[in-house]
Amino acid sequence: MNRKKNALWHLPLMIIGIIALLPVVFMISNSFKTLQESYQSILSLIPNKPTTINYTTLNHQVNLARLAWNTFFMATLVTLGKLFTGLLAAYAFRYYQFKHKNLIYLLFVATIFVPFTIVMIPNYLVIAKLNLLNSVIGVALPQLCDATGIMIFLKTMEKIPGSLFDSLKIDDIPNRRIFFNIVLPILKPSIISVGAMFFINSWNEYVWPTLILKDKSSFTLPLALQNYISSEGGTNFPLAMALSSIMIVVPLIIYLIFQRYILNSISNSGLK
Amino acid sequence: MSDNNATIELKEITKDFKNTKVIDQLNLKVAAGEFLVLLGPSGCGKSTTLRMIAGLESVSNGEVLIDGDDLKKKANDGHTIAMVFQDYALYPNMTVYQNLEYALKVHKVAKDERQKRLESILETLNLSDYRDRLPSELSGGQKQRVALGRGMAKKSKIFLLDEPLSNIDVQLREKARDEIQSLHDRNKQTIVYVTHDQLEAMALGDRIAVMNDGIIQMVDTPENIYKNPTNLFVAKFIGTPQINVLPVWYQDGYLTMDETKLVKLDRINSIDPKDYLLGVRPEHIKVSKNSESEFSVPTKVTKIVDYGRYIQLTLDLNGQHVIKAVTKDIDCKIDDTVFIRIDERTSIIFDKDSQKNIYWDRV
Repeated sequence: MNRKKNALWHLPLMIIGIIALLPVVFMISNSFKTLQESYQSILSLIPNKPTTINYTTLNHQVNLARLAWNTFFMATLVTLGKLFTGLLAAYAFRYYQFKHKNLIYLLFVATIFVPFTIVMIPNYLVIAKLNLLNSVIGVALPQLCDATGIMIFLKTMEKIPGSLFDSLKIDDIPNRRIFFNIVLPILKPSIISVGAMFFINSWNEYVWPTLILKDKSSFTLPLALQNYISSEGGTNFPLAMALSSIMIVVPLIIYLIFQRYILNSISNSGLK
Repeated sequence: MSDNNATIELKEITKDFKNTKVIDQLNLKVAAGEFLVLLGPSGCGKSTTLRMIAGLESVSNGEVLIDGDDLKKKANDGHTIAMVFQDYALYPNMTVYQNLEYALKVHKVAKDERQKRLESILETLNLSDYRDRLPSELSGGQKQRVALGRGMAKKSKIFLLDEPLSNIDVQLREKARDEIQSLHDRNKQTIVYVTHDQLEAMALGDRIAVMNDGIIQMVDTPENIYKNPTNLFVAKFIGTPQINVLPVWYQDGYLTMDETKLVKLDRINSIDPKDYLLGVRPEHIKVSKNSESEFSVPTKVTKIVDYGRYIQLTLDLNGQHVIKAVTKDIDCKIDDTVFIRIDERTSIIFDKDSQKNIYWDRV
């Protein structure tokens, strides 16, 4: 009975899986087509005459290492910033009793619902005043805090029983130690999965970096990709697909390394 | 006052949560090296009292003194107080050994000393084989022993235990109780132990403080609490099966119920003629097949349970009152008529309105 039910579920799941996978296959296959072939048969999933020309052209036209480093640097900075502030804030909300705690928390969480377009201009002006335009730091700075992290970490910390903190209090364990020796190890799975999510989001980020980064040498991968889709130099579809394929390598590796944790923290958030 | 234990004194402690008084003007003294049990039904404020001694809960009014000093100076200094929690509160990311060692390490106890202490604790608690296991790999009883060991490792003067046995199997409970008892015999720490289990309280406590509604009803030795409870609540809370309570009327030296004379009072020569409650423990009800004296009352047997060591009878008196009696051996069947007799020496009389033991006010 159960097996039969499971088998029945497999069919829709397989269809969804194929639909999800299709764009990726489409992207990779087109990155191995010549410009001409891609115009003629863009939908064929297997290139007639596979060619690496797009990748070599890309390598000539842009400094891939530089782009990858810029993107990596920015994403790492943003991820570490968000994890650091998120964990500390969540710990404060979990461990301390202070006035208007719930209200303050609510205000924090409310920032999640403020659309980016509203803070875009003020943030831009601040970054400009700070003379950080055109630098990766300028891109990262307004993103070092994120209420999503606070919320997820607080939810996980709430699963740590209060008696654990009481016990630490009685043993007079300093906060720094509680945080690093007890809370962080317990939260490890959710830190990794939330961190991976932050990193991938930041890696793919487009709008905000375009505002800040003007100089090509400070471009990140999504910005460089835009050049191949927009008017500048005309749309070269296979080239864009090749760059896209390169772009997904890092998130893919991160996902593969940490998938155990990511799945784990979705199905249960780390504590028993 | 000594090196390995301390006195605890609660003076006029009051605790409010929002607008409700959880603890009301509580006074309690615990002698150095004493094993005191806080006993009461859930929600009676016993855990809150313990947490106030631990300094985990603030006191709305009054003082908590440790060795005569204000608690704030002593609590949370890392070595005066140790506490074991109901859910054990083990650090899930550390092995058994690391759990025991952690606080000592943070407080810079020398490595040799740490090892010496922990080895002997692991030995006494039978945990040597599990030292490298994580808490998630232990059974409930083992976790409980680790929690106990972690408290012991601190060599604190005061050891607080909050229902440490309530989450483990009944079979293991007695063994764990013995462990706690022998731990106290060895180390002579001052122990305050919270439980809702009266058997645990009777077995462990030098003294028991029975609490209800945030008020200490009685503090005394287990024996006195059982034999001479201050009020009806204490009498009912201690002892299984529960004490029998019969509504009686006092007149001319006799306690009567529905016109039947039950007990002749010699101990007290005159009390006001009015309604009282007569408390008799099931084992003090004398059951016989024949009427043995003028105070024998006929009852009908409605239930017989043979526990092996004793037989528990449920008796029906006049179709109005249910009486539980415990006896060694009696040969009877359901619906038989048996006679019960109540002895003045083993009965307790409560004032019907105040529910207080009237002997208590007089003696």
